[in-house]
Amino acid sequence: MNYLHLILRSLLRSKRRTVLTVLSLAVSVALVAVLQSVLFTLDSFTKNPNASNRIAVRHKVSITNLLPIRHADWIRRQPGVEAVMGLQWFQGVYIDRSNFFPNFATEAEYLTTVFREEIVDYSESQFRDFMRDRNGCIAGQALADKYGWKVGDVITLKSDIFPITVRLTLRGTFRSRKPSDEQALHFHYKLLEEGVSYMKGHIGNIWVRARHPEDVPGLIERIDRHFADAVDPTTSETENAFQLTFLKMMGNYSAMIQSITAAVLVAILVVTANTMAMAIRERTTEIAVFRAMGFTGLQVLGLLMAEGVLLSVLGGGLGLGIAWLMAGGVRQTAGTFLPYLQDFTVPGEVLMFCLHATMGVGLLSTFIPAYRATRRPIIEGLRAL
Amino acid sequence: MIIRCRDISKSYFRGSLEIPVLQGLELEIPQGGYYALMGPSGSGKTTLLNLIAGIDRPSGGHLEVCGHALNDLDDDELAAWRAAYVGFIFQNYNLVPVLNAYENVELPLLLTDLSRSQRRERVLEALELVKLADRMGNYPRQLSGGQEQRVAVARAIVGDPDLLVADEPTGSLDARNAEEVLGLMERLNREMGKTILMVTHDPKAAQHARVQVHLEKGVLERTVEVRR
Repeated sequence: MNYLHLILRSLLRSKRRTVLTVLSLAVSVALVAVLQSVLFTLDSFTKNPNASNRIAVRHKVSITNLLPIRHADWIRRQPGVEAVMGLQWFQGVYIDRSNFFPNFATEAEYLTTVFREEIVDYSESQFRDFMRDRNGCIAGQALADKYGWKVGDVITLKSDIFPITVRLTLRGTFRSRKPSDEQALHFHYKLLEEGVSYMKGHIGNIWVRARHPEDVPGLIERIDRHFADAVDPTTSETENAFQLTFLKMMGNYSAMIQSITAAVLVAILVVTANTMAMAIRERTTEIAVFRAMGFTGLQVLGLLMAEGVLLSVLGGGLGLGIAWLMAGGVRQTAGTFLPYLQDFTVPGEVLMFCLHATMGVGLLSTFIPAYRATRRPIIEGLRAL
Repeated sequence: MIIRCRDISKSYFRGSLEIPVLQGLELEIPQGGYYALMGPSGSGKTTLLNLIAGIDRPSGGHLEVCGHALNDLDDDELAAWRAAYVGFIFQNYNLVPVLNAYENVELPLLLTDLSRSQRRERVLEALELVKLADRMGNYPRQLSGGQEQRVAVARAIVGDPDLLVADEPTGSLDARNAEEVLGLMERLNREMGKTILMVTHDPKAAQHARVQVHLEKGVLERTVEVRR
């Protein structure tokens, strides 16, 4: 026998109570892990290291106001600019609204330059076909796989925000490093411009690729200063800042998730504290016997604390296992209407956070009852039957 | 002398009310003695046992047990002293229910530097002595009261302490099992030279000791040598 053996045996003293506590911890930790992973995944879109060269230019009034496409021509002529592309969110519905995926009217000739890090693998010939066909479109491979599209298939998109339905022919697919980057479909901006009269000469956003990341702040400043007195002034920001603005349209999701996490952690702290308090109270005499035999207060405290931490870590570990399984479910479900979540996983950072949090819960919940038990005079403990 | 009590007093407090339990007690017990502490409830016999065993502290006086002045030891030193010199036998056995007989006996040895095989040797020796080696895999709930108390005796002696303290060791046993446990304690005293201090109400149990110490209202009333 060793101390670990002793701790494990003590933990299984009341199997039902231990199992129920571990399960309640596991469910709570799984919830925390999934929520924190959602937060991490969303945040990663605002901290994309590949976006350091890109600037998003939008109308100063709001993200839904249109910009003249000629703004793009001026920006294209600025030193330090590698490529500029107009991009319009189309919000086309494919068959029905449950089939959500991002689709854009794009100045396609600049697509593979501006989003070089995202569109990493594509067929040159397919892309040429796309460029030649005004009704053509190009889609991420994961998206094409999802709907079973093949090159040559006709895809009909009815826009929710423009009075137009486009019939597109899939001319090619592209691969990205992340599944979430393979969820988009791009078609020619000209098609939208021709079909919607008020879109003539206008676009939703302009995406700028600077030659060097260090050129980005200067370009942002120059673009906004140049258009400051124009009829359609601009707000330019880094891509990460733009993504953050976009995500903030969902509300302060970060504060919401952190509040729920805090509430769940407090709840599991109370549950574990209750279990450990009961477990320690039941053992008042046994603790006194240990101390009578020569175990010091610190040694007994250590044994009890280790038991509490082990209980929490067991629950936390199981919870993380459940969260890992749930991550697949989130990708399959939420990922269909929130493409951000296509890459959803439980990252290492969240794993460590949850493990530390559960260990902290174990320590905090056990310390007070364990400390009190070890401070109680031995003779009182021996009398407590 | 293995135990020297000089002018020992002990009081408990209930709120601000002081309740004296022992007053000016003088007692000496030689190495290898077998003493029974007797007296009515509230006479202070268990309190005296607790003080000598180092699980309580006197309010006054000087206490020297197994060559150590207990008054001078801090809590951790006292714990180490108990582990080295004292074996406990309780009325209710107080075995750990989630450990089997072997593990219960091994428990005090976790505090020593003995290797696993040395510990095993000691545990088997102790269980042989109490004639329970064949039940070492049994949990307390699978043992009779008498067997539980014999395991408790094995646990008390496994660390080879000089002093065994027993608080009503037969209080929860029937006559046959009580006799068995008392016989075992007598053997430990006679054959292994263990000094035993036993609190008991039972005159029959006290007959197994060599000396009976009678307490009355916290003072030593008389000491009687048992004639066989």
